[in-house]
Amino acid sequence: MRFAITMLSFVGIASIIGTILKQKQPYESYIIKFGQFWFDIFSHLDLFNVYQAIWFLIILVFLIASTSLCVSRNSPSILREYKKFQDQIREKSLRSFKHCYEISLPSFNKLDLISLLEKNNFKVREKKNTSSDLLIVAKKGSFQKLGYIFTHLAIIIISAGGLLDGNLKLKTQELLGLKEIQLLDLPLSEIPSKNRLDSNNFSYRANVLLAEGEKQDVGVIPSKDGYLIQELPFSVGLKNFNIEHYSSGQPKSFESDLILTSKLTGKTKEQKISVNKPFTFEGVTIYQSDFQDGGTKLNILITDLQSKDKSQAMKAEVFKRNNLIYMDQSFSFEFDGFRLFNILDIDSSQKKNSKNVGPNFTYKIRNESGQANEYQTYQLPMKLDGRYFFVSGMRATPQEDFKFLKMPADSERGLDGFLIFKNLILNEETIETAINQVILSSATSKDVNVNNLKLSTSKLFKTFQQGGYNEIALGIDKNIPNQEQESAASAYIKIIHLVANQVLLDYKKNNISAEFFELKDLSLFTQDALNAYSDSFFYGTPLFLELKDFEHVQASGLQLTKSPGKFWVYLGSILLVIGIFCMIYVQEVRLWVLKKKNSKNILLTLTTNRHHLTFDKYALEIKNKINSLSKKG
Amino acid sequence: MKDQVSLYNKFFIGGLTILAFYALIQFHNYMDGYEVAILISSVFGFSWLGFSWRNFKSYFIIIFLLAFLSIFIYQGNLLIVEENFILKYFLSSQSAIMWMSALYPLSLIIYWFHLFNSQDFSGKLASSLVWIATTLGTAGLLIRWYESYLISIDVGHIPISNLYEVFVLFCIITALIYLYYEERIGTKKLGAFILIIINIAVGFLLWYSFAKGAHEIQPLVPALQSYWMKIHVPANFIGYGAFAIAAMVSMAYLVVDKGWLTKYLPEKDVLDDMTYRTIAIGFIFFTIATILGAVWAAEAWGGYWSWDPKETWALIVWLNYAAWLHLRLIKGLRGNLLAWWSIIGLFITAFCFLGVNLFLSGLHSYGEL
Repeated sequence: MRFAITMLSFVGIASIIGTILKQKQPYESYIIKFGQFWFDIFSHLDLFNVYQAIWFLIILVFLIASTSLCVSRNSPSILREYKKFQDQIREKSLRSFKHCYEISLPSFNKLDLISLLEKNNFKVREKKNTSSDLLIVAKKGSFQKLGYIFTHLAIIIISAGGLLDGNLKLKTQELLGLKEIQLLDLPLSEIPSKNRLDSNNFSYRANVLLAEGEKQDVGVIPSKDGYLIQELPFSVGLKNFNIEHYSSGQPKSFESDLILTSKLTGKTKEQKISVNKPFTFEGVTIYQSDFQDGGTKLNILITDLQSKDKSQAMKAEVFKRNNLIYMDQSFSFEFDGFRLFNILDIDSSQKKNSKNVGPNFTYKIRNESGQANEYQTYQLPMKLDGRYFFVSGMRATPQEDFKFLKMPADSERGLDGFLIFKNLILNEETIETAINQVILSSATSKDVNVNNLKLSTSKLFKTFQQGGYNEIALGIDKNIPNQEQESAASAYIKIIHLVANQVLLDYKKNNISAEFFELKDLSLFTQDALNAYSDSFFYGTPLFLELKDFEHVQASGLQLTKSPGKFWVYLGSILLVIGIFCMIYVQEVRLWVLKKKNSKNILLTLTTNRHHLTFDKYALEIKNKINSLSKKG
Repeated sequence: MKDQVSLYNKFFIGGLTILAFYALIQFHNYMDGYEVAILISSVFGFSWLGFSWRNFKSYFIIIFLLAFLSIFIYQGNLLIVEENFILKYFLSSQSAIMWMSALYPLSLIIYWFHLFNSQDFSGKLASSLVWIATTLGTAGLLIRWYESYLISIDVGHIPISNLYEVFVLFCIITALIYLYYEERIGTKKLGAFILIIINIAVGFLLWYSFAKGAHEIQPLVPALQSYWMKIHVPANFIGYGAFAIAAMVSMAYLVVDKGWLTKYLPEKDVLDDMTYRTIAIGFIFFTIATILGAVWAAEAWGGYWSWDPKETWALIVWLNYAAWLHLRLIKGLRGNLLAWWSIIGLFITAFCFLGVNLFLSGLHSYGEL
């Protein structure tokens, strides 16, 4: 008993650890979170997979054993009690009970009394003493005792069912060296049989990811930092994957049209499954668990944000990589994901206003030395502060939040305007013309040397071209005394803005078809565009990937489960509920009526093993009922 | 008198049956077999409740009248709220729930007044206020159910799907369980304690609603689109509500044990017994809810037990109260220790109910902050 409670407490504490420490994450993220030292300790204790850990399973086994012991030890006596009427009892002990009443019953009729008790759900037996005193023994609510057996048996059955579905078998095979977790990402054909579980494995939960049109006959069981391959008794193909959305863009339902072909009989079955509507085929239940990208094809335009070079097109596919040699360096683009719908809460006003902002895709750009930044780029411009921007996030490690580069959309809601702007401000000629105009129109005072002014302005703008506002700030820090820095900075920003705006105005004048710049506030666009250009120096790469169009391919995530323990768990659960009802709501009562041969009185005693408040009331009630027998008689 | 009672019962059960039939004929196209079964068993369930508890009948009839009135005024147009006085200030779900949130604190104050002055009138007033608040809260939920369908037919769902909605559910279920025991044990003194926990929930509800805009109706994620939600969630909340009451009664027990307020509060035995009874009823419902949750999980997630944080904490709550009952029933333990334990039990329950959603992530992530 004490042992069982200790074990239960252990289960409780282990479970709490398991909930606080997020389970089954990639191992690298644990290393980053806890450091190598704690990671080693935690992983030795299997704290990242508490519920599959050997020690946890051993505790469960002990728990079952000790509960079984408890039940087997107590059950015989409980069952004996259950059947037994306690008729070997003396008057003296009857009188010692709390609920003992002496009732005067002049016209005592045994049969009346028995029928009264039976009417109150008592089981009655009478016993003649040697002294020919009459002793009536009655009891009710014996089921309460069985409740003990039921509940404890239920716990054993449930835990045993759970263990049956646990990975005890796999653990043993691992310990014996028969099976082993595969840590590397290998093609299916190269995975050795040591990492494979055969199709008559009696219990498993495996995942299958299928792109539309794809077919598989194995599942993957993720395990610790690796995985195992589970052979299936059939092949499963995805004909079609359907996802429906609410008008607000959240997913409403997803369903897969599957084609299942038995390996044994060759029989084929087409079946639609969806969340909450699984299907069982050859003893394996197939669930819709999630969905992913299945290798969406992307048409991309690559642009260098910091040079006048022309954009170039690139065809890409999600989960594939493209290599590019640019400025004598080789880069690899790793496309990790694509999402058709993105519900974001971007409106900064108080009310919750989640909106679909359209597709985005994520990718990494890896340089020659293997370092990579992660990018998340949205295809369509988003409305921020009343203006539209193309947004792309960058981060160096997965722990960081994305930092966003925001490029203003042109009047056609496209990116072309910004790209033209970029080319204009990187063009020496246009800049010079613009500087001349700006200085002509603003330089009123004669004692300023116009040429000097031109020179310094063009130098300032060069600095901006080379590194954005940050570069200018560095120059200010170096060359200008502290107290004048702030005013210098704001003057510089103003000048750059003036020049850039002039560049745009010139462009509009010279190009009749400047349809990208039909903007209400051109100066605001200039400001946003300058900011974007300046921010691009913090973007990790000058290369921006614009998603032109795409062909969406989806993949359906299925879970395939064989769970023989389920039946036992459910059976145990039913038993558990019955048991708890018996223990709590069935009140065991024992009752004796002793009538001495020569006495006009009878002795009535009631006992119960659980003293609830209501029992006092109940005892009195029975007493009064018996009392009233005499009146009737 | 007896005839009147039986007439009332007949009226109640008859009315329920007719309504259920109407719903079946009108809406059977939208229901699957399980939902029909739930509808029919709810007729039996509520009939039995009404049969054995007179006030429940009146409560039930009034919430239905209010809900119908609201539906009648709405006339299928959600935008009418702004123009219609009654909807705007009383019978839109949000207003009804706000009235509930105003009346529970008021009744708490009156219960404390009643605790010291012991007049019949103040006690009755406090109970009536709780009844009215509960009625409005329940009607609010029913109206919200209708409103969700007005947003769009595919958005419509029973309003027990996010933290805001289940907090309302928690308030009304806790209040109902308390009102039942109030009648049974014949004293209104405990309201002063029970209403504390209800008002804490109301406080959270208001903060959640105003600071986070949580009262807006959101569509259901695919995993929650199941008839199981209609069974699993209410069963769980009967459990939570009962455990909450047990903890508050235990608090009263400890107060009396200290020798404080002994003149005003019921005796220790009564408090002890009530703690036991509420924990027992809570335990049964919590057990059933957890089991049903496992059955649902098996259907939706592919396994009856995934060691999801919510599941794990439900297990911890279950083990906690199993141990409590074990000590009391098998070992016959009474007194302070169990009272303290049941108060600590409330914290464990609260973590399971709320903490898991706030601090841990997992499959049960239907309400985050």
